[in-house]
Amino acid sequence: MAKTVHVTVDGRTIEAAEGAPLLQAMLDAGIHIPHYCYHPKLTIDGSCRFCQVRIEGIPKLQISCNTPVRDGMVVKTDDPEVHTVRRGVIELLLLNHPLDCPICDKAGECWLQNYSMEFGAREGRTIDPRRKRGKRLDIGERMLLDQERCILCRRCVRFCNEITKTGELHIFTLGDHSKLDIYDDARLDNPYSMNTADICPVGALETKDFHHKIRVWFLEETASVCPSCANGCNIMISAYRNRIWRLVPRRNDEVNDTWMCDAGRLNYRFVADPERLRAPLVDGAPATWNEALDRAAGALGDFRKRQGGSALGAIVSPHLTNEENFRFGELIHALGVQQVAMAVKRGPADDFLIKAEKAANARGVRELRIVQGDDDGIEALLGAIESGMVKGLYLCGDDLLETVPADRLERILAQLELLIVQTLRPNPRFARAAVIFPTTTFAEKDGTFTNHAGRVQRIRKALETPAGWLNDGEIFTALLNAIDARGASFALDRVWGEMARDGNVFSALDFNEIGPRGMQLAAAGK
Amino acid sequence: MAARVVKVARPQPMTRRWTPLLVGLGVAIAHFFRNLLGFARGRQDFTVYFPEQRFVQPPAMRGMPVLVQMPNGKERCVACGLCEFACPTNCITIFPAETASEVERYPEVFDIDMSRCMFCGLCEEACPEEAIVMSRQVEIACYSRRGSLWHKQDLLVPEAELKPRLDYLRPQYARK
Repeated sequence: MAKTVHVTVDGRTIEAAEGAPLLQAMLDAGIHIPHYCYHPKLTIDGSCRFCQVRIEGIPKLQISCNTPVRDGMVVKTDDPEVHTVRRGVIELLLLNHPLDCPICDKAGECWLQNYSMEFGAREGRTIDPRRKRGKRLDIGERMLLDQERCILCRRCVRFCNEITKTGELHIFTLGDHSKLDIYDDARLDNPYSMNTADICPVGALETKDFHHKIRVWFLEETASVCPSCANGCNIMISAYRNRIWRLVPRRNDEVNDTWMCDAGRLNYRFVADPERLRAPLVDGAPATWNEALDRAAGALGDFRKRQGGSALGAIVSPHLTNEENFRFGELIHALGVQQVAMAVKRGPADDFLIKAEKAANARGVRELRIVQGDDDGIEALLGAIESGMVKGLYLCGDDLLETVPADRLERILAQLELLIVQTLRPNPRFARAAVIFPTTTFAEKDGTFTNHAGRVQRIRKALETPAGWLNDGEIFTALLNAIDARGASFALDRVWGEMARDGNVFSALDFNEIGPRGMQLAAAGK
Repeated sequence: MAARVVKVARPQPMTRRWTPLLVGLGVAIAHFFRNLLGFARGRQDFTVYFPEQRFVQPPAMRGMPVLVQMPNGKERCVACGLCEFACPTNCITIFPAETASEVERYPEVFDIDMSRCMFCGLCEEACPEEAIVMSRQVEIACYSRRGSLWHKQDLLVPEAELKPRLDYLRPQYARK
């Protein structure tokens, strides 16, 4: 731990760790210093010259990003020379900037726009024509490059060298001829390439996914968690007209720093899938929520009476929140279900952010002790169905479709006498289901996910659901009330109160204290 | 600065209440006879006989907003969305899309709900491309609400027809 020292900035004393970049210390203290090339998660480059400040005892202005904090430093940011430098830097950067803000997707969140409003002159003094460069260059599977807009801050170059260690981007040639480009033999196709668009302070690097889609000032942002794998990267959901337009990473040093993978970032289309189930199906026909709930509760009650609860199996979804799965645990306990399993889709992983389990909350299900065993009980359950011990199944989520071979799944589903499904899309395999409930995606509900390392993080509702819509937890609660007459509700703080009384690992946490960075579960798990 | 006292001659209040009535009646009667005699002598009247005749509005007049159509038939709009954002009544709906041309972007959908539009002209002021301007057109009544939703094709007006307004606007917004 570095020693804490004191620095005076414009007569105000701030605390900082010795040796930390002076710029970061000032930003942390809430002092506004303009900067482009400095990024807290990348090495220091010092190429933009925008963060210069006067430091007592040094004759020339210093860039504060590359100045380590020393005890007793006296810094002046409100200095005539500092203002001159800022005006000069912005004029230099705007010399060749095309100012095509009306067609630039960065407009509205562009640092060059903001700083030129703050420090720039109203009129340019140059009479030379602006430099022509490549526009809309296809540099990768998911990325576009506009060399005219680039201000050569080298953030993206450092990202590719230091974070992904793939090194596709480079600044070629020197001086006024410098331009950002890819090498001939390497396109910007690494699995984290779209982060370069986030860290680009201008619109030089743009994602194809968001290209010419919507202006950023229309977007409403909701802090949430990426649902695509067990890592649980912190994200912002950008929504407008009740639709998701993009996901962007949100800083959390405990989980994802400021990055997220491209696969996770692009995995939001399923929320607006036109094939998604919009109403419950009873025996394959659309029905109202009440009809579906009555039918499901009746069928489950009958089945328990005729066959006993142990003839009923359940598959938990790792895509549902901790609260929903807790409620599902109560429901299957009330039904007397013995065989519980969880199906988790797996995929490629790396040693940075991407995890093999392609579901956000598998750890949460295990922490709740709903499922047992190394394979989360899936083999035992499928075996029990095949041997005829289990004749009914409550299936949440559709990961089963991708984890079990198609012919085996077909056989298993054909053997069932009762099937209740909660799924995103209707599937011909579920044709024999008594009731199919539509499931609710991560963007349409509140709750918490537990990531692979046991960090409990909040997800928040970004999109409105249709009137009368019940999310998965509310479906479980309604069925529990119908079967067990409990009068339970699915208000999150009440569920957390019940979870605390239940004595599971979540009881050590307070729901209302889960901040934007999440909370770590006690090491009790596993 | 020292205060300066100025004595203003205020008109005295009328003492008799029916005096202004008589004065007004006198003006009306005078106009009546003047017109009567004037028409008898063949004087032109000022009434514009709508709809056979149309009054040509000055360029400062704000009618319904329209899109400027370039000589090549395309809209000048690049779907930047500033008018959509500036619009106080949210009557503009734009969906941008990409084109192969140099400007990269064009509005795939550009709808204005004229039943909401209040002709304030903020869209015109916000537009960086001189692509949406207030025309002189005000005769936009229709029989259904659907009819008051104007699509891009309906809104396009050739640049030449909008020249008076564009010439009027440039000095207003100090454009070159």
